[in-house]
Amino acid sequence: MMRLKRRALLLEPPASATSDIAFNLIVFFLVCASVQPDTGREQLIPKVDEQKEKSRQSQNIEVSLTPKIIIVNGEPVPLEKLSSRLASLLAGKNKPEDKVVLVKSDQATSYQRWIQVTGLVESAGGTITLRLEETKSTTVN
Amino acid sequence: MKIARLKLEASVPAVAMGDIAFLLLIFLFILARTNDTSHIRWKPATAPTVRSASVAVAEVAIDADHKLFLNGRSIGVASFGTELTRILGDRPAGQRAVHLKVDLRTPAQYFEPAIEAISSAGGELVHILEEDKPAQ
Repeated sequence: MMRLKRRALLLEPPASATSDIAFNLIVFFLVCASVQPDTGREQLIPKVDEQKEKSRQSQNIEVSLTPKIIIVNGEPVPLEKLSSRLASLLAGKNKPEDKVVLVKSDQATSYQRWIQVTGLVESAGGTITLRLEETKSTTVN
Repeated sequence: MKIARLKLEASVPAVAMGDIAFLLLIFLFILARTNDTSHIRWKPATAPTVRSASVAVAEVAIDADHKLFLNGRSIGVASFGTELTRILGDRPAGQRAVHLKVDLRTPAQYFEPAIEAISSAGGELVHILEEDKPAQ
């Protein structure tokens, strides 16, 4: 009986495609590297009704911020003691509107310092509300 | 004797189709990132704890020269609020994230009005920060 020889299968990837594959891989990893997700911190700054705000302002904690000093309710507080001071002031306040902390910044206060201080306010349980200086222009005849 | 004309076949190589499709996909993906802010010069502030930020509807930036940008385009402070309100539209809560990228040295007189405008427009503010790395 005659034996038939089995044909060997050629399983070699086409050499012409390897450069394409390499190029595609480079592009893929480049895109992946450039699309790194941002990291950050969410901050809830509530919209406050002006009339309500005026009536409540005296009851809320006020943090005045300058490039060098932090003043809490008119009293200077060092940065390292800010969190504990705010925590003691916020203790016993359960309503969200009572936890509002008015942050008034000096115009020269840097963003880095603002982020640092507001982070401490939030970690103490306070809700940030900005108090911006209003600029009014009057014409004198 | 008649000589048969050689037939030329012009076929598209099927092997390359996958590659072309893949490259097109990447190209469109990059193009879809319309809010490109790579040209803005800024150094992020640091914080001890940061989280991965959600997808933003709008990206606000204040560069090292205190210039204000909305989705990569320079914008005046006066028109910033209305433009942001238009972008946010009637999106429901949870889908109104606004990323704020501010250079760490920017004074409050520049970033506070931007924060207030984001809040007034109903945006969900996310400060883009870097994690504080302990000194080695």
